Amino acid sequence: MATSSDLGFFLLVTIVKVAIILWVLLTAIAYLTWLERKVIGHIQSRWGPYLVGPHGLLQPLADGVKFLFKEDIMPADADRLVYWLAPFIAMVTAFLSIAVIPFGESFELRGHVIPLQITDLNVGLLFVFAVTSLGVYSIVLAGWASNSKYPLFGGLRSSAQMISYELALGLGVVGVLMISGTLSLRGIAASQLGFWRLGGILILPRWNIFLQPVGFLVYFMAAIAETNRVPFDLPEGETELVAGFHTEYSSFKFAMFFMSEYANMVTVSCLATLLFFGGWSGPVFGPGWLRVLLPVFWFCLKVFCFLFFYIWVRGTLPRFRYDQLMAFGWKFLLPLGLANILVTSFVLAWIHS
Amino acid sequence: MMAFQSVDTIRILPEIILSAFAILVMVLEPWVAARKSALGWLSLAGVIAAALATLKTAGSPGLAFGGSVSADGFSLFFVDLFLAIAALCLLGSIHYLERDRVHHGEYYALILLATVGACFMAASTDLIMIFIGLEISSISTYILAGFKRQELASNEASLKYFLLGSFATAFFLYGVALVYGLTGTTNLLRLREQAGGSPGAALAALALILMFVGLAFKVSSAPFQVWTPDVYQGAPAPVTAFLSTAPKAAAFAVLLRIFAGSLAGSGPVSFWVLWISAVLTMTVGNLAAIWQSNVKRLLAYSSIAHAGYVLVGITAGGAEGVSSVLFYLAGYALMNVGAFILVAHLAGRGERRVDVADYTALAAARPSAAALLTVFLVSLAGFPGTVGFFAKFYVFRAAVHAHLIGLVTIALLNSVVSVYYYLKIVVAMYMGEGETGVSAAAMPNALRAAVVLSVAGIFYLGLYPAPLLAALARIPKPGL
Amino acid sequence: MLQDYIPVLVQLIAVVAVAGGILGASALVGKKRPTREKLSPYECGSVPVGNARERFSISFYLVGMLFILFDVEAVFLYPWAVVYKSLKWFGFIEMFVYIAILLAGYLYLWKKGALDWSR
Repeated sequence: MATSSDLGFFLLVTIVKVAIILWVLLTAIAYLTWLERKVIGHIQSRWGPYLVGPHGLLQPLADGVKFLFKEDIMPADADRLVYWLAPFIAMVTAFLSIAVIPFGESFELRGHVIPLQITDLNVGLLFVFAVTSLGVYSIVLAGWASNSKYPLFGGLRSSAQMISYELALGLGVVGVLMISGTLSLRGIAASQLGFWRLGGILILPRWNIFLQPVGFLVYFMAAIAETNRVPFDLPEGETELVAGFHTEYSSFKFAMFFMSEYANMVTVSCLATLLFFGGWSGPVFGPGWLRVLLPVFWFCLKVFCFLFFYIWVRGTLPRFRYDQLMAFGWKFLLPLGLANILVTSFVLAWIHS
Repeated sequence: MMAFQSVDTIRILPEIILSAFAILVMVLEPWVAARKSALGWLSLAGVIAAALATLKTAGSPGLAFGGSVSADGFSLFFVDLFLAIAALCLLGSIHYLERDRVHHGEYYALILLATVGACFMAASTDLIMIFIGLEISSISTYILAGFKRQELASNEASLKYFLLGSFATAFFLYGVALVYGLTGTTNLLRLREQAGGSPGAALAALALILMFVGLAFKVSSAPFQVWTPDVYQGAPAPVTAFLSTAPKAAAFAVLLRIFAGSLAGSGPVSFWVLWISAVLTMTVGNLAAIWQSNVKRLLAYSSIAHAGYVLVGITAGGAEGVSSVLFYLAGYALMNVGAFILVAHLAGRGERRVDVADYTALAAARPSAAALLTVFLVSLAGFPGTVGFFAKFYVFRAAVHAHLIGLVTIALLNSVVSVYYYLKIVVAMYMGEGETGVSAAAMPNALRAAVVLSVAGIFYLGLYPAPLLAALARIPKPGL
Repeated sequence: MLQDYIPVLVQLIAVVAVAGGILGASALVGKKRPTREKLSPYECGSVPVGNARERFSISFYLVGMLFILFDVEAVFLYPWAVVYKSLKWFGFIEMFVYIAILLAGYLYLWKKGALDWSR
């Protein structure tokens, strides 16, 4: 990026990429809600949304319009600024971390190599964790600002849960870092391209899941808890806390919490794909343009599988009790993650010396 | 990147052993339900093991961990001193904790960790490492000061100590930051090399003063001594015994390393800072002590006054000054630890009997206890035959040799004043009429051992100071 | 190096614009007919009692403290893990000691009941 025209081109490409990715993400989130209702419906032998558009496909749009026109209620004694700030923080943090997620290789345009990623930070993984862990502020602030009891308890519980599981989340991926030796998400994904040949036959893709099954389990269970999803959705357990921290929220502020929750689901699914399932690795063939698009397709397919799994779990499992939840995080996942690190480091030291 | 050498671990072996025992005690604590005193003995074993390890460390002196820690005669003297203090305090604590029903194993672990921190303060040659040692010892002692959770005074002591202590460490850290900004290093040895061309004299002076303020809090020298009486009075007495000696001596070690060592070239600023602080500390401590009716509070002010005498030695500087300060700290540790753990015992359950009036006619009821306490008090006052005399003598002599006649005169006047309040207790014990108020419980063996050891040390150093002095004269002084 | 972060800034600006736009649009378009009952905090339909911002269980503070403790540990592990392959056995032993010390603390906490929520 030596000249100013290069910088201009770089900025233009960046803006275009940001715009496309945000648009895709927002649409994906909107249709994730549709998918969730549809899948849960079928799991429970119902139809799910059906009336708005064919198979209810326009339902997310209708929901959006409805949220927009709903009355925005703020409790009388709420802290006005913080009450506004909370959904804002939730959404910003949830949508910011997507900036470092790579979703494919790269392509060439007018002599410039354009990677399929907004930016490749050398501390990408840390960036994602740093930004998403800021999201806990939105929850605790929302609970506190509402000046209502259920939101306060929901906010407290939620923040305690999120910080507890953040430990396991962080420990789960350390094994992957040891194997790949980088914090760059592109680097981690790239290290998983190719195959292992066992006994001369093609047998396994070089995905980290085969080296780090325990790490993946720890990571994914913690990730479900981090995103406050069933069976860890205590903070919004409607049977005990009404709707948790966002009980008092209405209109689009309420929707923003939902959007950030789904965006976080997408983020952790992307991370799971990148860290453990080889990112965009998959069979690639055909002409040049297909060779660019196929990896993106594989990546999206893997992420979709995770998202489907999320919904599937929600339709299947009951909720934890709060003390069980904390015990599971502190007494099971945390030591399991540590043990995984010790075993991995022992084996790696054995191999490399 | 500095290569790791296995000799590095030998050079901090005492600290490693102490830490390992502290962790062991901590982990065992929840499993040992009934006999917590076993943990006390385990900790004592750890202290003894660490003391044996200092012999091994002494065999391979030098710098460790990239020049951030130094195993030299100076640091080993302090490590041994802290281990002795820890051992005496542990012996004095075991029955105390049982009696006052605060017997938790964490106490012993915290004493060990506080000792580790003090050791690192004395052994470090890097300001950051010193800061870490300072924090380790401080945080442990904050908790120890509030160890009687059910008692308001103890809570108050802990909170005051914590707030002012963290404030003080912030000062210290700010000074460190300035030093780093001025010179680009926090290593004291490298600072010494750079001392010749000191850029920004005003900032250097400010850095020095800030670091001095931080350490002055720890040694409770005036005008940063206000927390001392409240904390020493409110904390459990064996903790006070530790608090008034080990962290204080560690802070003095750092003062010696910084003021007598690396930044010695900084000229009149450090001299006058030390001079004024010494005078203020002695005077405030002694004058305030006169009016105290609570023994713990009286001893607290006395410890402030003693910090002032030590500062006289540091002001004097030079090889003789440093030697005299080390000697003083050793003697002071013996008499102060002994006095506080004896007072802890005599105060009875819940430390209710701590007034000077309670000591009335103690000699008639319990002659041995009275005699032992008299030794400590007389030594604190600096009577000949006890270590207190020689400690003061060498410090003042060093000051005279450094032509600080005015300072010595003030110190002598202060010593005379101090005799009054020490003897006040002695007079009450031997000449007071009526019933004694203090606890009549027999002295437990562990405590007796600790007290007798201290008294033996006081007399040994008071009658034959030559061996220790000769040893101190031999060890290399930082920066000299 | 620093240039890698420019797209992050662009993304941040875009996200702030989207979030702010949504908030603003919803505030402009949505109707406003507040009544006293509507603005009172939700408490299962009954009249709210007292202020909601009261003292809450100490356990939450405990979790917060433990989190900081172990999160610092996890963060320490990251740079170590990245360069692990070049450290070999030295790295293993160093980190083993480090984790062992933390595990000792963990064991202590567990046995002391700091991890039991229902206590």
